[in-house]
Amino acid sequence: MSAPNCLRCLVRPSTAIPLAIPRQASPLVAPFAPFSTTTATAAKKEVKGHVRGGKKLVLGKFKKNKVESRVRPPGPGERKAYRKRITLSNDNAIQVPWLTDMGPGSLLDTANVAKVLALPEEVQDQLRASEAFKTTQSWKMFRKPSVLVRTETVDLMNRIQGAVEKRQTLRVAITGDKVAGKSMMLLQAMSHAYLNNWIVIHVPEAHELTTACTDYAPIPGTEPPQYTQPTYALKLIHAIKKANEKILAKTYTVSAHPELPQNIPANTPLLAIANAAKEADGAWAVFHALWNELTAQGANRPPILLSLDGLAHVMKTSDYRAPGFDRIHAHDLSLVRLFAEALGGGVQFPNGGAVLGATSRSNTPRAPSMELALAQREAEQRHADPAEVPQKDAFFRGYDERVEAVLRSVQVLRLGGVSKLEARAVMEYWAASGMLRAAVDEKTVTEKWALGSGVLGEMERASLLTMRI
Amino acid sequence: MASSKQGLSSALRGVSRTLSGKQWQPLEQQFQSLRLSPSLAQGVRCMSTEPTEPAFTDSLPPISAAEIDTKSLSKRLRLAEHARALPVSPSYFSRTPSFNDRYLALEKLMKSYGNLPVVPAADAERVAWKTLSDLRLSIGEPVKATDYVKCLAVVKRLHQIHPELKPTAIDHALGDFKREVQAFLNTPNPIPIDKLGRALGVGRRKTSTARAFVVEGEGKVLVNGKSLADYFGRVHDRESAVWALHAAGRLDKYNVWARVEGGGTTGQAEALTLAIAKALLAHEPALKPALRRAGTVTRDPRRVERKKHGKVKARKAPAWVKR
Repeated sequence: MSAPNCLRCLVRPSTAIPLAIPRQASPLVAPFAPFSTTTATAAKKEVKGHVRGGKKLVLGKFKKNKVESRVRPPGPGERKAYRKRITLSNDNAIQVPWLTDMGPGSLLDTANVAKVLALPEEVQDQLRASEAFKTTQSWKMFRKPSVLVRTETVDLMNRIQGAVEKRQTLRVAITGDKVAGKSMMLLQAMSHAYLNNWIVIHVPEAHELTTACTDYAPIPGTEPPQYTQPTYALKLIHAIKKANEKILAKTYTVSAHPELPQNIPANTPLLAIANAAKEADGAWAVFHALWNELTAQGANRPPILLSLDGLAHVMKTSDYRAPGFDRIHAHDLSLVRLFAEALGGGVQFPNGGAVLGATSRSNTPRAPSMELALAQREAEQRHADPAEVPQKDAFFRGYDERVEAVLRSVQVLRLGGVSKLEARAVMEYWAASGMLRAAVDEKTVTEKWALGSGVLGEMERASLLTMRI
Repeated sequence: MASSKQGLSSALRGVSRTLSGKQWQPLEQQFQSLRLSPSLAQGVRCMSTEPTEPAFTDSLPPISAAEIDTKSLSKRLRLAEHARALPVSPSYFSRTPSFNDRYLALEKLMKSYGNLPVVPAADAERVAWKTLSDLRLSIGEPVKATDYVKCLAVVKRLHQIHPELKPTAIDHALGDFKREVQAFLNTPNPIPIDKLGRALGVGRRKTSTARAFVVEGEGKVLVNGKSLADYFGRVHDRESAVWALHAAGRLDKYNVWARVEGGGTTGQAEALTLAIAKALLAHEPALKPALRRAGTVTRDPRRVERKKHGKVKARKAPAWVKR
């Protein structure tokens, strides 16, 4: 007896080949036999089923072959570098003849209000190192980076200077409208600090610390557990070192630091500590040592300016997770904690200084406690009627006590529109640079001032960034 | 009865020969539409259709005469043997008699009063005259366009006569050429300036409504409690919102406090344009020509076009499918 299938054929015999048993009873007469004499099998051969005539549907008929791009694709990181690039000079812009450089005391002088001052080359480098310039600011339109001195600028600088003279720490939260110049105020404070040989530690974007985009590690033996961000700490040390190199070289340690990867004895320049940070691993230890040295009481230290942009990001729970998958509060991240303590008044700088935190109005999270605290401080500063001081909403749970504690005693500087005099000064600068092609008179100034509601960024949008042909 | 009627009609036509029935029947009908002058009754030989008074004072339109009671008439009066019927209007046999009558009356007036002093056309009272189609409808005659133009030129010239010297006859004659609804008589209520120096203007565009309080100031603008830059993210919208002030060069002279409702950003901004312009005109009415040139006086009537059946949107046709 032969097998029903060929042994080599591995198709299941049950499905593939209907052999002996036909599914239907075979008809007596072949269905399509042209003649009665034609056999059924022959008739079946003739008919191949339905024969399609005419056009056939061809899909993708009009799709052309892809043209091979001959352009080199941008390398990894190239696009981002282009996006983040900061251009501080425009050769096509006209040099403004009457522009003067900022000096150490320029920002303290009331006579400089409503004047545009240029940043000296050296300060430009320092500011660039500490990432004080932003891509959203239109530095690239002018020959030389320059800033408008506002009434608020002189006021704030005088307050900082007064605090430094008294060896105190001024703690200010800068807030205000969108594109009102909050980051620019930080930049001015930093330029003032650099010109006066202070130490500047600047966190350019607070969200880099809290949106879980940089690595973190717990610090053993801390309760509640704290976390370091080694890579960011390393980056920050490099920025501090590059920006404050001269002063760090002239400032000496008061104690030895055997815990660092490189042994640092007492009376070594602080620059050596900063140089000790080569890898992310030991970066936090180095930063901690540097910070301890800078804030060592009784030592001869320059005044310190500690600033942070994007305050709301550090005044809430961060996106980092603890091992139990709970959210880590931003104040449990060691770098943020350091800033929060300083802003809350927990750190006394040996020779005085300032802690500035600027809120941001773009890509910023809601921080209800911070908003409430700032509104309350503002009302207190105005000596408002106690009934007018905003109070907590009793039915809202999102308040944060740690944030409230930090912001309990800060001063608030609210930035809004500039005066028409200041608007005129900045517009004259634009016109002298060849960027504003209109006569700067009362009419133009009022028009742009009204269109932007006096807010500098909006005025800039209305007159420089909107194309008119 | 019939024979007497026939006799009368032939007498009226001044025809001594009796006409056969077939010939006089339509004429008889025609005479019914004529008005007999009262002078007929006094045995005047020629029945003139010319009215004793000038045509323009006769406000009543010509009406067909009542059927003449010939029996009683022949009893009371001795009828003229050879009376010839003349139509009331000299233009009776033209295609447009009533129009021509009016035109002739106007020309007559022009002849008599054409030398009166006139005021410049711009200073004359603004009147909406009937358009050609309006005139055709009201008179019910196929008035020619060229005649209409000529007639209206006379109308306008007569209208220009100094109002203190203008005879009432002219006003009567021109009355037929005025439109029923005089849009120029609708004057908007003047916007008052309240004791705080505010003028409230209301403007609309698309589905937005804006109310703007304009007060003398230094160029501050608040829209729904926010600054202009806060409320309108787009620079173009900000510009259109204060365009009236900008065009008049008054941006630094007034403050604006506005409330806007409904619609989108563009609609709201352009509703504000109109509202601010109106309120500004309350402060300075002399700015109207300048603002009109800037395009901020007239309300833009355009709305979203309605969707039609068989279409995807108002106009967009569905994609063509082969069967």
